[in-house]
Amino acid sequence: MSIVFACAGSHAPGITAWTEKAPKEQVDRFVNGYKSVHEELVASKPDTILLLTSEHWANFFLDHIGAFCIGRGESFEGPLEPWLRVAKSNVPGNPALANAILEHCYENGFELNYSDELKLDHGSMVPLSFITPQMDMKVVPLMFNTLATPRPTARRCLALGRTLRPLLEESGERIAIVATGGLSHDPGEINHGFIDRAFDSEFLESLTNADLDRLGAYTDAEILKAGAGTLELLAWICLAGIMGEKRPRVVAYEAVEPWATGVGIVSYAEAA
Amino acid sequence: MGAYSLNKVLRDINRNPGIREEFFKSKDSVLDRYDLTDEEKRAIRELDIGTLYRSGAHGLILRPFTLLHQVPEPDYLKAIRG
Repeated sequence: MSIVFACAGSHAPGITAWTEKAPKEQVDRFVNGYKSVHEELVASKPDTILLLTSEHWANFFLDHIGAFCIGRGESFEGPLEPWLRVAKSNVPGNPALANAILEHCYENGFELNYSDELKLDHGSMVPLSFITPQMDMKVVPLMFNTLATPRPTARRCLALGRTLRPLLEESGERIAIVATGGLSHDPGEINHGFIDRAFDSEFLESLTNADLDRLGAYTDAEILKAGAGTLELLAWICLAGIMGEKRPRVVAYEAVEPWATGVGIVSYAEAA
Repeated sequence: MGAYSLNKVLRDINRNPGIREEFFKSKDSVLDRYDLTDEEKRAIRELDIGTLYRSGAHGLILRPFTLLHQVPEPDYLKAIRG
């Protein structure tokens, strides 16, 4: 089995940019959660991280929107934000694996967009700064449009995951999959600060029960009620499609008001 | 999302260090290159956050733009909710 590790975690900018604004106990629990998944990832000895992620108008704008875009670059620069408090890096890519994924997808009903040059913003750099702090592990980013309407449906994202699974399992590489984003948040808008704890709890329950029917049935409107940023969970739903019947565990969940986000981490590794 | 050019200029300032540097030296030299109304240019020049938000600036573009001006979060939220 060439999927050696999988996890999902929030990428709220506050995690690194205004860490100390949050209550210490919450920060400690959450950051320790990322430290423990970092250790799990390292122990699994991956060659490459497939990063199921999203961004915030960094690469894509209304001059060109695609539902999914895979990065085939030799490396990716990030972060774009000078205020993020994550050091600027050139994260190494894996063009060969990215191309293999792309060709497999085209043969199986998913004409992904692709780019030979993507910039990484907080959506990718915040989780990477915990999971691969030296920024020396190869990364293939697969970006989901979670901003402009129409967006890919949860059903479609689940199906993409199912499509990716055999290619990843048969790969000669040891692949760690990391999904980023969520959970409930509505950043920069009038409802900024609203955290729908009930939504987050229900979503995590569906995820940890591997309830793929429920995950694929989420509608755009339903997720939007928990805040526009919550749509980043489309990447987590794709991960669930890849992992199938496997059940992750919740490593951390905190409704952190100064970060205006319900931040969470789940891991598919067996608990130590 | 409406206000295409408004969002485009703010986004370009956010993500392009060269444009950002030029903007902080001479705002109009950047603003004149975009298809903006006089009112949009004024609101950007004067950092009139409320007007920019009501004109259709997207939260994920407007908030980072205000972060470049060190606007604290409570002030930003007060302005967009005003």
